[in-house]
Amino acid sequence: MVNEVTCVAIASRICFALVMSRHVKKSPSLCTDRPLDNADICNKLSLLRQLLASCFGPTGRLKQVHNSIGGCVVTTSTSSVLLPAISSAQPFVNLIKSSILNHVSRFSDCGLFAATLCLALVERAKQSGLGGNVAIGLNKHLLGLCVSYLQREDCGCKVKLDFGSSQHLVTLARSIISSKPACVLTEQETLHISKLASQAFLLTLPCANPGTVTLGRTVTASVEGHSVLASAVFPGLLLDVTGALCPHKAESLNSSPMCVVLFSASLAGDLPELGDGIVEVPSGVDTDSQILDQLLELGKQAVKDEVKLFVCQKVIHPVIQQYLRSQGIIVIERLGVTLMEPLIQLTGAQPVATLHSTLPAKAYGKVRDLSIRQFGSKTMLHLHPPGESAICTMVLCHRNETMLSELKVVCQKTENVLRLTLREPSALLGGGCTETHLAAYVRHKSMNEVTETAAVLGCSQSEYLLGVEGFCHSLESVAKALEHNGGNSFIDLTHAHHWTLRADVMSGCMEDMTGLCGCGLVEGSPSRKWTCLNSKYTEFSPASPSRDSPVQPRVLDSFTAKLNALQVAVETANLALDVRYIIQDVN
Amino acid sequence: MLGSTVINHRQHVGLQELSALAGVTHSFLGPDKTYKFIQDDASGESALVRSCFRLFENLELTCAVGQLVHETIQAHQRVYGTGSGCLLFLAGAWSRAAVECLQRGISVPHVVAAMSEAIEVCEDVCRICSISIEGLGATQSEEGGAATPHGSGLQLSKKSVPRASRASCHKTLNISGQRKIKLSRHFYEAEAKTQPDQPEPPNITYLADALSHGCVDAMNLAVEANRLQSKDNQDVGCSTFDVTKVLTCVVPGLPEERSCVLPGCVVLLSVEQASVALRLREQPVNVALINGDLSHDFRHLGFKRPAGIQQVSDRSALLGSSPEEEWLVKVVALLLNLELNLILVSGLASEKVIQRCCGHRILVVEKAKASVLKAFADATGGVPVTYATQLTKHCVGTGAKVATWRELHESATAVNISARGNGGLVTVVLTSCVRGKLQALEDQFWACAHRLHRALKDRAVLPGAGATEMLCVRRLQKRAGHRSETSGAPTEAEGAVNPYRGEVFRLMADGLIDYVSTVMFNTGRFSKVKARTALRQQLQECNGHVGTAAKFSQVFSEGENEDGAFVSEAKPAGAPSMKVYDNLSVKQEAWRKALDLVLLVLQTDAEVVTGVEQKTAAEENLMLL
Repeated sequence: MVNEVTCVAIASRICFALVMSRHVKKSPSLCTDRPLDNADICNKLSLLRQLLASCFGPTGRLKQVHNSIGGCVVTTSTSSVLLPAISSAQPFVNLIKSSILNHVSRFSDCGLFAATLCLALVERAKQSGLGGNVAIGLNKHLLGLCVSYLQREDCGCKVKLDFGSSQHLVTLARSIISSKPACVLTEQETLHISKLASQAFLLTLPCANPGTVTLGRTVTASVEGHSVLASAVFPGLLLDVTGALCPHKAESLNSSPMCVVLFSASLAGDLPELGDGIVEVPSGVDTDSQILDQLLELGKQAVKDEVKLFVCQKVIHPVIQQYLRSQGIIVIERLGVTLMEPLIQLTGAQPVATLHSTLPAKAYGKVRDLSIRQFGSKTMLHLHPPGESAICTMVLCHRNETMLSELKVVCQKTENVLRLTLREPSALLGGGCTETHLAAYVRHKSMNEVTETAAVLGCSQSEYLLGVEGFCHSLESVAKALEHNGGNSFIDLTHAHHWTLRADVMSGCMEDMTGLCGCGLVEGSPSRKWTCLNSKYTEFSPASPSRDSPVQPRVLDSFTAKLNALQVAVETANLALDVRYIIQDVN
Repeated sequence: MLGSTVINHRQHVGLQELSALAGVTHSFLGPDKTYKFIQDDASGESALVRSCFRLFENLELTCAVGQLVHETIQAHQRVYGTGSGCLLFLAGAWSRAAVECLQRGISVPHVVAAMSEAIEVCEDVCRICSISIEGLGATQSEEGGAATPHGSGLQLSKKSVPRASRASCHKTLNISGQRKIKLSRHFYEAEAKTQPDQPEPPNITYLADALSHGCVDAMNLAVEANRLQSKDNQDVGCSTFDVTKVLTCVVPGLPEERSCVLPGCVVLLSVEQASVALRLREQPVNVALINGDLSHDFRHLGFKRPAGIQQVSDRSALLGSSPEEEWLVKVVALLLNLELNLILVSGLASEKVIQRCCGHRILVVEKAKASVLKAFADATGGVPVTYATQLTKHCVGTGAKVATWRELHESATAVNISARGNGGLVTVVLTSCVRGKLQALEDQFWACAHRLHRALKDRAVLPGAGATEMLCVRRLQKRAGHRSETSGAPTEAEGAVNPYRGEVFRLMADGLIDYVSTVMFNTGRFSKVKARTALRQQLQECNGHVGTAAKFSQVFSEGENEDGAFVSEAKPAGAPSMKVYDNLSVKQEAWRKALDLVLLVLQTDAEVVTGVEQKTAAEENLMLL
């Protein structure tokens, strides 16, 4: 009976579909020739540039992201949160968006840098009137210059990281954390979180293990409604057990070491995925209770094998929970997929994915100790590793959800950036100094080889100079994008570092510029010469700041992330410049 | 085609929206609130509201700032239960201050830095002028009712000013250790030192009066609830108040004077169930606690119903009974077997179960709060289970009691369910002849209960009736320097760091003055202008004294006198002046959250709206990406 009905329904739907397809005519595809000459596309790219550039840096402006029918509002200036929210009908926008998102997903940092630079390059190339191919060739060449300079030992905007002290790590962390104002942190709070991030990073490094080294990981737990200064880092794993029935007695927690079993399969008591198949059950047979019996068998085995902590990624049937608890076992359900991997690393347990066999002995893991910690309204169960383990938990507290979610994103980003330093123990000067310094270097270097390079690239000398100017100007515009309050950007003519003057200070009195440059490495002095960032200056070879100076940079950027961002920006811009037609299927 | 849209905010629209939203709630401030009607033109429905969070609950706000405000207020209300009006008012006032700063050409980072600094100044003032609740109001009787403006807290502090050493700055106020309040050198709790082990129990009546903020009846109920709960917990001093174990039961149709507090859990039941209750009275009954729904097809959260199951049977299905009937028979048999007479269900129970149980003299009570289940589990030894079929002897709680409290009308009877000791569970029965008022009465009661709970938890309170705000104003203005508002040159050494600090501080202080004057205006005894003039005058008078730290306490006490004056003027003529206190943690948190809102909105320059159709985007003049 049921089958027949279904068939009829399906058949009628198919007929309907056929009728539909016969009646709707296919519209022809839309083709846009020379998309960059299209005013609408240019306006959209310019809007995207404004949108992203205005987020850039510690004084960047925030964006409220929400959907048109209400729903929650996200306040952010982070590219990894903002970009996924941007969906456009324009493939050009999506091309750039996906390219940047791909960079961010791998390197976490410098997404806004890449986006701003890429869009500036496209805009400049269009303005300069250079032919697409010439601009592309030039950009490629100049990118090569930058990359080889950045990789040089004597690169003037690179700092070798000193792992002997935490100072560089904290500075690196601080630069990232302070660049996101939606966290609403005071100076003291920023420093506290930066230190925690560095501490968490160090805790994930395994100690003195010869052979292959596996990095641990930091698990983040967030607590809303608490002061930021209450945030802390703990070795081991903290699981949220708020509201769950937990043993009140401390003594039951101290029979070390304890046996742990971990299920990745659901113990909810429902039938596993049937796919499209149909199971025929004779009436009078209660499938639910049969599955439950099987689950109880598993529970009994866990009791027999003296399991003390029973964890399931998904739901555990209340009857099983009741049984296990009555046997003095701590039960945790709904762990979630993100915590599975760290828990496996910590305990050495093998997640059990099936309910149809007995539990193998090697599936069991161990924890040394359990304790209960209270953070505001949240109760956490603290699992200590049985031996050396590189798992740690960072408990992040903030006053409200909006700020907390941004803080969480930023801390995860910081963790990834600190990890990148293991690959390449260097950092770049922050505060726009790397950009201005690179621009000055490219100007100087390319001036000295105008004739030969122009010939190699197959362009005229004036085209070459125009291309170089466009590239350098784009780099400098990224540095300028750090200023959002109408202030002026300057470059000094010795080190080519980036300086800013507040809008309300009389412009033109550059001689009064005291204080420090963007990265904090160079100090202003009356003998120094400055020029406006958008003015023409005679090219010069930017000097590296003295290496043995006791002054340490105050702002550092990730070397690996920025280098990749630079490449992504130029290559994406080149790709965009290379597009001749956009063909859109509008059906 | 759906796309994302960007709205650029060049005119600080967000701050203006925030200020406009805050404007709606002016009449909810202070002890003299007025009701507001919200009417839905489309459906014709209306709601009567008297508090900020109820207002937002009934408004459908689609703008981003509105959403942000709503989320903030909900989060605050969830934890503190009071103070959301203050939060929103200050968010509005300070967003106006921020707009003013921007119009004067102060850059966003400067505004952010200075405002953050200002809130720290205010929090510092709160710490300094917080008064320990221990022994509060004890001197009242000695002085024959003529209460000193500041209770005993200030008396002590005044005496100890000259003696206090620098070291005392970091002593905590309350040695018994619930909350650590850093003491300034001006406030030195001598008593705490002499009797560190035995903190004097707070004078609850006095404290509650001072925290009632005009809701005397509601506060009396809260005090009574606390007294009953403390009696249950053998806490002689009533020194804690667990609001999670307080329930409310609203009963329409009775005059308001009939509101009362009862130990245990009072619920309204149908006539049929009430008759079961009647038969169960005066005898200890066995109780089962069900965490979920009590029905045949209920399954625990996360259980997926199989899709592709087909029942195959060789006989006609009509011969057997339905699975529901089978389940019902099984459950009722189990309940009878366990000699259960009372079932508390956190979710819903199916009509059939309730009826069948009634027939067997088993009372089923639905929608029991988690705290009720927990209290009953603690008091009766019962273990909450998810399915009725899970019940065993071990899960059954014993010694629960059922009593009819009052027959209200033909269709409902109030029944009191209790257990030995109740685990601190008390029910506040709120009555009113006017149905539309019940919600407001309930809200009022909860606000009072939370205020009392917080005061006991903080072990400290703040001088109320605007006194704390005015102290903050004075401190902010002092830090800003005494200059006319137009001059811009910083005079203080610290001013060099942020040249606009003074201006921003003064604008923040104006926001607080705005708050106090609105509260005064709401009393109906002041015009807005008169209130402001009065406040400014007092500030000016005091400014003559300010200058040295040593004189601070003197100014402080004067401030108290004048604040006392607000209250006495606000009261009907002839009534004795009464002390008013505010909650320490609630105020600090509300201020913080208000500023957080302003700072987030201030730094936002664009909205990204997703899922906008091209047509509407063109109509609303949005930029489409």
